[in-house]
Amino acid sequence: MLRRSFTAVLEKNSTFAGDFATEPYEAGWALEARWFVRVLEIAGEQTELVLRSQVSPDGLFWCEDGGQPMHMTSVGLDSRAVREFGSWLRLDARLSGNNPRVKVMIYLALKG
Amino acid sequence: MTPDNAEFRKAILSADPRLSKYNPLSRILFYDDFDEGVNGWCELVGNHTGDLDDIREIARDFRPPQLSTCTFFDIGTHGSVEGTYSLKLATRPKHGHVAIAIKRLTYGRRGLVQFETYFSFKAEQTFGADPSHGEWDGNIAPSEKQFGDITFSNDICDGDTGTRYMGAVRYLNTDTEGNLAHEWMYKTSVQPTTKMERQGITAPNQDFHTVRPDDWQSIPGGHQPLCFNETASKVNWHYLRWTFDTDRQHMVELQCNGLTLDLSGIAVPVYAQEYRGIPNLLNFLVDVRTHADVRNFLYLDSVLVSVDW
Repeated sequence: MLRRSFTAVLEKNSTFAGDFATEPYEAGWALEARWFVRVLEIAGEQTELVLRSQVSPDGLFWCEDGGQPMHMTSVGLDSRAVREFGSWLRLDARLSGNNPRVKVMIYLALKG
Repeated sequence: MTPDNAEFRKAILSADPRLSKYNPLSRILFYDDFDEGVNGWCELVGNHTGDLDDIREIARDFRPPQLSTCTFFDIGTHGSVEGTYSLKLATRPKHGHVAIAIKRLTYGRRGLVQFETYFSFKAEQTFGADPSHGEWDGNIAPSEKQFGDITFSNDICDGDTGTRYMGAVRYLNTDTEGNLAHEWMYKTSVQPTTKMERQGITAPNQDFHTVRPDDWQSIPGGHQPLCFNETASKVNWHYLRWTFDTDRQHMVELQCNGLTLDLSGIAVPVYAQEYRGIPNLLNFLVDVRTHADVRNFLYLDSVLVSVDW
């Protein structure tokens, strides 16, 4: 049997002007995961988007998984791998700067 | 099929614990056990030519389906009817938001098509009493009032004429104000398409399936309370069977547990426009809509689609 894999698009050309978190996503079947964040537009002064992977036992209460965050200050694509995450994943995003605004695509690629 | 063959087939189906809980027509087109993966069920998205900003507002955020273990904060993992995983659709916690999954095929011949599934539905656990739900009596689940509706639908296009139509049956758990309804419904208008909206034929719609939000009618005899079961974390599975006829362009019958409804007298809205590029389209859709700022979940243990051709 080939490995199962699935890519979820969690945000599609979504624009944010403040902190946000992606919708809870169940991935207990997967052994490995990889976030892809594509910044399509970024506006404001000294705008920075910091993204951290979070885990949860139930999809309701969340904590950080201890991995390295992504720091994005310009248009482009970044990625982080996650393992041993239990059953739920989401991405916590903090947006800072003067009148910050970002437009993003966020993917979660799973394999197991 | 000769009588002997029919009996032999019936015996084989009855001996298979996965299939014996279903009632397939003569040919099984597909059987999806979600312990094996998503089996082709994916997020529906509106039409575009590469620029996602062109997707009309109502059709740009139907959410990716999930393989769920039905895990809750109080009991941990529930699992599915057989095995661990089910296909989960989850809305955002936003009044009116809908999550839609679709499986896309084409048909080889016209005839009967039957969709069967075992499904369950839940509102996400909320904390703290909602005064609008009144005093909790220890039996009726307050979260049941936080669950909106489920719709099973299809999208079919005749290859020769470009005639397109979509059948739909909706279980209205609550109305949009959160009052329990427990009604099976059918729709009375077509689902506005990207083509219709771009050509100015319809204004942007609020209900994905219909031109106007109230273009729905109760199916006669279709009142049916389902088993929500007292808390937000108790998952009871329901059997559903929905048959339609692509030869007559009609729905035939809907069964949910012990209730069977005759749909043959209900007209399926047909598009006034011809549609090209989608000959023999045979799409299956399932969706869940929340009527509160609470995530709503639809779970499918498995799906079986069969045909008589």
